[in-house]
Amino acid sequence: MTTDAFPPVIAAQINYLLSHSPLSIKIDQMWAGCKYSGLLDRFSLLIPFCLDYIKWDVIYNAQCPLAAPDVIFGPEDENFHPFCVTGDEGDFKLPKNSLSDWNSKDPSGLLTLVHELRDLYMSYQKKRIGEVDDDRLKFEVSTMLSREGIEMYMSSGAEKPEEVKFAVPLLDMNINKMVFGCNWRHQQKIYLQVIFPVGRKYVSVPSAPRLKLVSTPELKVLFPIEDVKLPPWLDGMCMAEYLPNLEETLEGQIMDAVSLIDVRRHFIEALAPVFGRPLEADPVFCRKVTFLAASGVFTFLVHCFLPTQFPKQQPVLMLQSSQHFNSQGAPIKSHLLSEYPWSPRWEPSQMAERISEFLVDECLNFKKYCNETQLQQH
Amino acid sequence: MDDLPLQKIQISGPTLASMIQRFSTALGDVDGLLFGHVSHIAPSSLSDDDPLGSSSDPSTFVATVSGFLCSGTIDSFYDSSGQVNVLALRRLLADRIPLRSLIGWFSGRRRSPLRPSLRESSVTACLSTKAQFSFPIENSLSNFRPSLFLLFASPLSDQVIHTHEYKAYQYCLSSQTLEPKSIDIVNIGPAFRGHYGSFSPSSPFPSLACDLRGSPMAEDDTDATRVSKAQAQRELDTCAEGVQIGSLRRLMGSEATNYTAGLEDLYEKMLAKLDSLARLVEKTSAKVHEQESHNMKLRYKVAGYD
Repeated sequence: MTTDAFPPVIAAQINYLLSHSPLSIKIDQMWAGCKYSGLLDRFSLLIPFCLDYIKWDVIYNAQCPLAAPDVIFGPEDENFHPFCVTGDEGDFKLPKNSLSDWNSKDPSGLLTLVHELRDLYMSYQKKRIGEVDDDRLKFEVSTMLSREGIEMYMSSGAEKPEEVKFAVPLLDMNINKMVFGCNWRHQQKIYLQVIFPVGRKYVSVPSAPRLKLVSTPELKVLFPIEDVKLPPWLDGMCMAEYLPNLEETLEGQIMDAVSLIDVRRHFIEALAPVFGRPLEADPVFCRKVTFLAASGVFTFLVHCFLPTQFPKQQPVLMLQSSQHFNSQGAPIKSHLLSEYPWSPRWEPSQMAERISEFLVDECLNFKKYCNETQLQQH
Repeated sequence: MDDLPLQKIQISGPTLASMIQRFSTALGDVDGLLFGHVSHIAPSSLSDDDPLGSSSDPSTFVATVSGFLCSGTIDSFYDSSGQVNVLALRRLLADRIPLRSLIGWFSGRRRSPLRPSLRESSVTACLSTKAQFSFPIENSLSNFRPSLFLLFASPLSDQVIHTHEYKAYQYCLSSQTLEPKSIDIVNIGPAFRGHYGSFSPSSPFPSLACDLRGSPMAEDDTDATRVSKAQAQRELDTCAEGVQIGSLRRLMGSEATNYTAGLEDLYEKMLAKLDSLARLVEKTSAKVHEQESHNMKLRYKVAGYD
């Protein structure tokens, strides 16, 4: 999405927000609120919060582009009045905030405002949850509060059951630093999402919370979080008992995932004597490598995708012809090939040999397939 | 400080329509002030024993919006964080007669959700704590602070049919929330006859101090009577065009047989006055419009686009 259709001073603030925020804030929709000018001046922001997004509408005014923006919160948050503070005497005070001295020429204004409001929203949610009359919840909150970066959210709607959602950051380790040469812009984190139903009645064995592991999206290339099996939740357990155990297992798994990068690197290096120097290779996570190969005059590319579980799982191969093209002009590619002789116990050089042997036969099938596909087009 | 929760808010159809018209014809978002009165309506069923000992039932306060002032822009009497600027507010109120008390404010923003925004909540909260703008409630000893907020919005998607949504709120000091209030639209027609009972005109005919009975004794033109006559004539001129003060005498006493003709003549002259006022408004509006488009050009220049 481009912000060109906004007045320049407003566009500068939006671009600054999107490029400088440590949170991955997104623009969901943008539109115009003024007549005739054709300039956009309002948009909705998706702001990451508690492993979900909160959607706030930001209302500028193209007629007065130098004026400060206004914000409309979600329909569930009509009681969230972040800047209003009433004193004991009933006198009304507006504490100094990022809207008080709005300087439209400062592109960081919107970013400061959004972050200030998000922080206040966090305290607002914390306060709401603190007021819930549920002993188990009160206990869980008290044990988890000391965790840095914990976020919580209470969903309340007419048709939805009341529940409290926690995003618990796990592992006090810097994954970004563990991977040599990685170019992740955001700090990679793993969270445990815990959802407690709000129960106001006393029950001897409260139901287990809903648990789900969530990671920042870029971590997938190193460590697919959905493959992790959560330890079981035992009756009468609490988060303080559950978390240390989970963190210990996760830590071990991440260490393994990081050490597997080197195993993949050795394999890619072992492919070079057989296939020649790679055309392209993923140097950081070593998940992908491409070679140029030939069988007689038939020249083709071999794409090799390495799973995170390599060498337990074998690489997936795909061939791409350099000589055959489909009707759209794109090179013809084979299906994904994952059924070929493989043993994780082989030495990397033997793995490379066996792939080469497999491809000697397979490339003839692929050549035939290419010729047939091209013939059908004529 | 007490909260005086309103049972409902009344507004006449033409007033609401005229507000919506101002909002929909403006180039951008608008805000403005609401004027009117609040009355305490005695409960219809009175009983001798009052178990709670409460003399006033809180749900019987009704606010009536009788007029408004649209600023034509935003941030007209508050700053970007929503703090009310009392000086700017006084300037807007300068020519208001006390009969039309400030009961709240309104905001109209195009293509946005019908929920109070961050700034609107702050302005409403801030305005309702300004004790200097409070005024007495009719039939009650309490005072009412300007705590109403009327929000206008139009749907996000472009539509063939123009829809305008509106919602009224009252700021509740004890809970620090904006309580939604129902709006009662008062229209002309048999169904609304009951409302006329509490009707109070917002531009009354001036009460003329001059003695018009015209007894033979008063015929002698003393300075005192001449001065008071001239004063009364001036007041009459503000609401009717070209009616001599002396002719009002025909509406009283023995000459009142021609009452109908005389009254019709007065109404006609009042309409003529309105007509000339309308022409004046038209002329000044053109000037205002010219100035507005000039201002807009300047603003666009400052903002860096042409």
